[in-house]
Amino acid sequence: MIAEEVLIAQLKQKKSQTKAFKVLVNTYKERLYWHIRSIVLNHDDADDVLQNTFIKVYKHIDGFKGESKLYSWMYRIATNESLTFLKQQSKKLGISIDTLKNNKVEKLQSDVYFEGDAIQLKLQKALATLPDKQKLVFTMKYFREMKYEEISEVLETSVGALKTSYHLAVKKIEAYCKTY
Amino acid sequence: MKKNTPHTFNVPEGYFDSFYKRLMERLNHTEASTQTTLIPKSEGFRVPERYFEELPEKVYSRQLYKGKLIPLKTYKKIYYSAAALAAVVLLIFGLTWKTGTPLTFDTLANAEIEAYFEYHPPDMSAYEIAEAASVNTIAWNNVPETGIKEENLWEYLSETIEDVEDINILYNAYP
Repeated sequence: MIAEEVLIAQLKQKKSQTKAFKVLVNTYKERLYWHIRSIVLNHDDADDVLQNTFIKVYKHIDGFKGESKLYSWMYRIATNESLTFLKQQSKKLGISIDTLKNNKVEKLQSDVYFEGDAIQLKLQKALATLPDKQKLVFTMKYFREMKYEEISEVLETSVGALKTSYHLAVKKIEAYCKTY
Repeated sequence: MKKNTPHTFNVPEGYFDSFYKRLMERLNHTEASTQTTLIPKSEGFRVPERYFEELPEKVYSRQLYKGKLIPLKTYKKIYYSAAALAAVVLLIFGLTWKTGTPLTFDTLANAEIEAYFEYHPPDMSAYEIAEAASVNTIAWNNVPETGIKEENLWEYLSETIEDVEDINILYNAYP
């Protein structure tokens, strides 16, 4: 695998930009896709947001100073793009963001790209009740199996605060699953 | 067995050295078992077939489109704006036309009527026009106030009429 510093340098040079961009997409496409999908739920929306994310990365790579890791920076862009996408959708439909999230979960039952069972559907309902940050921490830790240090870089939050968020999220999800 | 002199109890050899490691293992195990029983380990999402294989090409072509066609898009924006503006102007005029007073003969300017007849002469003789137009409808201000001068009349008649006697003018009537 190509070193991150080398990839960044190649992305910033016109001559090697195209090739490096393909490497970048191939390296991060799956990880970023599943991160985005956890937030927007629907495949078509995730595809749209993922492409936007890569285009933003490509366009703003010159502004990347290397203060954080490349993947953290990309995760941050993906997170912001996903949340902005949801806000725009709720605005467009004239409904609150919570209503939009609930509608999205309800639609999962008829979604051809959702093959979850009743428990997984219940989990999605439980996740929809969490605040954005708690949900993000939970999915990044539980499903993506990211380290707290990595999540800390992406969400720019201390490891201690992340642990608390994760703990609270687990408790809330468990309580929801027991109740419903 | 190692004997600890201040106490009467013994612990297995290396017990304290490996305690932290064993504790961590147990904690991890407990955490994992709790989570797997209550919360499913996957979200249940799937993607269309070959989605990830085809994605790079999609992103690349979209990035090319966004990157290279921006100047054209800017022109397009200008064209669209101009077209939209023209449409709005037409709409406003259309609405004004419909909602305003209906167009009548009176609203036409005299200059426009004159210009029309200049380029589209009526297929009528002067006599027919006089017959068609009632005298009462002729406004007095349409008749020239300044009369025709006598010498101009004589000049006109001498040029156009071959035999002055034909019009039965009494010479005596004029000095």
